[in-house]
Amino acid sequence: MIKSIVILILLSLFVGTGVWLFFIWAVKKGEFDDVEGPKYRMLLDVDEENDHNKESK
Amino acid sequence: MNSKTDICHHCGLPIPDGIDIRDHYGDQEVLFCCHGCHGAFLIISGSGLERFYQQRDWPDSGYPEGVYETNFDDTTLKPYIVPINERLSEISFLVDGIRCATCVWLLEKVLKQKDGVEDIRVNYGSHRARIVFDQIKIPPQKLFTAISKLGYLPRPYSRNAFQEAAAREQKSLLIRFGTAGFLSMQLMGYSLALYAGYFHGIDPNVRQLIQYFAAAVTTPVVFYSGWPFLSGAIRSLVNRAPSMDLLIALGVTTAYCYSLFAMFTGGEVYFDTAAMIVTLILLGRLLENSARNRSMSGIDKLMQLAPDTARQTDGTKNWTVQSINLKPGDCIIVLPGERIPVDAIVSDGESEFDESTITGEALPVYHTTGDQITSGSLNLTNSITLEVTRIKADSFISRMNRLVEEAQNRKAPVQSLADRIASFFVPIVIGIAIMTWSFWAWQGDGNVNAVLNAVAVLIVACPCALGLATPTAVLVATGQAAASGILFRGGDILEGASRADIVAFDKTGTLTLGRPTVTDVIPASGIDRNQLIQYAANAAAGSNHPLAKAIAIYATKNNIDASQIQSTETIPGRGLVALSGDAHLRLGSRLFLQESNILLPDQQVHLQTEVHLALNGTYFGTFLFTDPLRVEAKDTIESLQKFGMETVLLTGDREGPTREIIKALGISSYQSEMKPADKAEWILNKQQEGRILIMVGDGINDAPALSQADLGCAMAGGTDIALETSDLVLTRPDLAKLFTAIQLARKTLTVIKQNLFWAFSYNIVAIPLAASGLLAPIWAAAAMASSSILVIGNSLRLGRHLKKSIANHPPMPLESTND
Repeated sequence: MIKSIVILILLSLFVGTGVWLFFIWAVKKGEFDDVEGPKYRMLLDVDEENDHNKESK
Repeated sequence: MNSKTDICHHCGLPIPDGIDIRDHYGDQEVLFCCHGCHGAFLIISGSGLERFYQQRDWPDSGYPEGVYETNFDDTTLKPYIVPINERLSEISFLVDGIRCATCVWLLEKVLKQKDGVEDIRVNYGSHRARIVFDQIKIPPQKLFTAISKLGYLPRPYSRNAFQEAAAREQKSLLIRFGTAGFLSMQLMGYSLALYAGYFHGIDPNVRQLIQYFAAAVTTPVVFYSGWPFLSGAIRSLVNRAPSMDLLIALGVTTAYCYSLFAMFTGGEVYFDTAAMIVTLILLGRLLENSARNRSMSGIDKLMQLAPDTARQTDGTKNWTVQSINLKPGDCIIVLPGERIPVDAIVSDGESEFDESTITGEALPVYHTTGDQITSGSLNLTNSITLEVTRIKADSFISRMNRLVEEAQNRKAPVQSLADRIASFFVPIVIGIAIMTWSFWAWQGDGNVNAVLNAVAVLIVACPCALGLATPTAVLVATGQAAASGILFRGGDILEGASRADIVAFDKTGTLTLGRPTVTDVIPASGIDRNQLIQYAANAAAGSNHPLAKAIAIYATKNNIDASQIQSTETIPGRGLVALSGDAHLRLGSRLFLQESNILLPDQQVHLQTEVHLALNGTYFGTFLFTDPLRVEAKDTIESLQKFGMETVLLTGDREGPTREIIKALGISSYQSEMKPADKAEWILNKQQEGRILIMVGDGINDAPALSQADLGCAMAGGTDIALETSDLVLTRPDLAKLFTAIQLARKTLTVIKQNLFWAFSYNIVAIPLAASGLLAPIWAAAAMASSSILVIGNSLRLGRHLKKSIANHPPMPLESTND
């Protein structure tokens, strides 16, 4: 019983630490510097071939 | 604009192939490039304002073409370039003119196509661009030219130390909070098990084990994430001034140490209390910081860049130098539309200068060879050559900067409400803890038990909602304020604004519009008034001079259309000569007409500016001008006084005109003929009497007063230095916003007070439990959770408040034109 609790807790800590390291890396890389722009960028980055965004001024 | 061509009638852009949108304008058929432009046309013509299309003249902005491009060459840009490796370099700069996300997209796409550009990122929020490029393949000047060709203005920019520190702090705060959040989430799982065990029973071995894990995850939260509070607490102990940090550190460390002790002796642990206090208060700091940063970048965007470069000349060739390298005796050329970089005298040429930011004088001032010119003036009409008289560090702007610094050093930081409450709450809590200990020790209940009960008091006294009380209210309030054009430079500013009891105003550009308007027209005897206006409007049509523009506006108001003229010639400082058919018009100062032997009536005794018109050598009439008061000024001052605030006018003007203004506006008192340093001095004197002041101003001359005042307020369109030294910036030139800002600040402070009250009261209720030795971790957790939720909900109420108050004070009609 105790053994399985220990294993499970350690496992969750292990996964959590992975996420935490990923978070630190993202902050250091500057992913949180501009939180406004990407949502528009996503809408505007249409493939150049279909010229649909000509009208969206 | 010509309409019957293939360009859009509304926006003037070419109409793409295959688009056919037509409408009628009078008997003309007009074309549009898209339905949006057509819609705008329908709104404008529907309001009977078709005249807009004849009167707008945007092709010439008053600045000669290419002014900006010539400013940047590779040597000027060199200090801004940071090499990354042997091949690539990086440059960061601000881009002026970004209005929407599409601008960002356009800039990125166009520049990425250039050979040698490796990467480009334009930050939509701060308008900063960062380009990684190969200097050999593409010189930085080419990048800048490419951007200005797109219609944007790149400005080289280096972050100052203050901004760097703010960005670093925000990042480290984010990491600390992220770490605390991650560990607290783990901890929550363990706590849930412990709470379940508390109610239903748990195997002591399992409990012990979970407690070990809880201790393991709490330790970094307290000592790494909570480090800002711990160091703040040490500082406050050294200064002997109990602060909020001390209260937090006290609660967190006692909860942590008590739990460690309980873990080994088999008691209940409070690890979750310790971790939650740190996490939630860090969240509060993060929110408050981001609100502050958002306002700051808003203010940054409003600022124009003072010229860091100058165009030096030796008579035959010109080159660009850093203005900091200019020595007395050097010659520089200043084009129209540029600001004067250093104090200098005119060595060749004549021009008119806008000195409104320095002296407050609304009308352009004429200078010719031998005249002294102050740095910061704007050259309006002609290109001139100047001889430098002072190095940059001794120039007017730098002297003002020194006054600003002195004022800032004198100013004590605003102590936040939470800190002030903490300063008497901490001693009380410690008092109760000591009383608890002595009571239980006297009861003879064993020393350990007495200490534990005293510690429980300390644990439960620190509400984690304390950390949320101010930031959440500030976040909501600054967000709402920003949406209506008010930028607060931080939470302490909101608190300061609500406590202020004197508002001091500068005159020109603040209470007045800062631009002349025609007040009266006096035709010569036997001349028709309308005919006089007609001729003057014809002559004025070709000029950008503020007085000429005022005449043109006046003519339009009287339904008189200016007709085409053949030629105009401007004589700086005098007036202009215009030919219209066989009419030879002279429009200008008294001196200007007298020089060409025109007889004028004697000057009447008035202080207003006058402009005279002569037709073919005979006097035709006179226009009188004044700088009108802002329409909303009177109401704003009335409302401020109703709020119980004293209003004062501080001006460099003479006493006579000043008195007239305060009478017209109902301002309580005035100080006239004040120099920049006098204003700051006057404010300092009032502060020593214990008053709290707001100073409203816009010029370089106001900067020392703005930074000396408890709260400096500048409006958009003011000078950089005024914006920079202000704590409160109105993004639209509308004084009524000042009242809205103060109103909002007062409401915010009320909400903060309520928040603090509730935050403390929940925990105060739990103090008797702790003192009687009955506190269980579940009670501490319940007090925390309920007070936090209440505080957040109460703060959100602020958003609704402001919307209501704006509905009661409808914004000026001017705002509907989105500029």
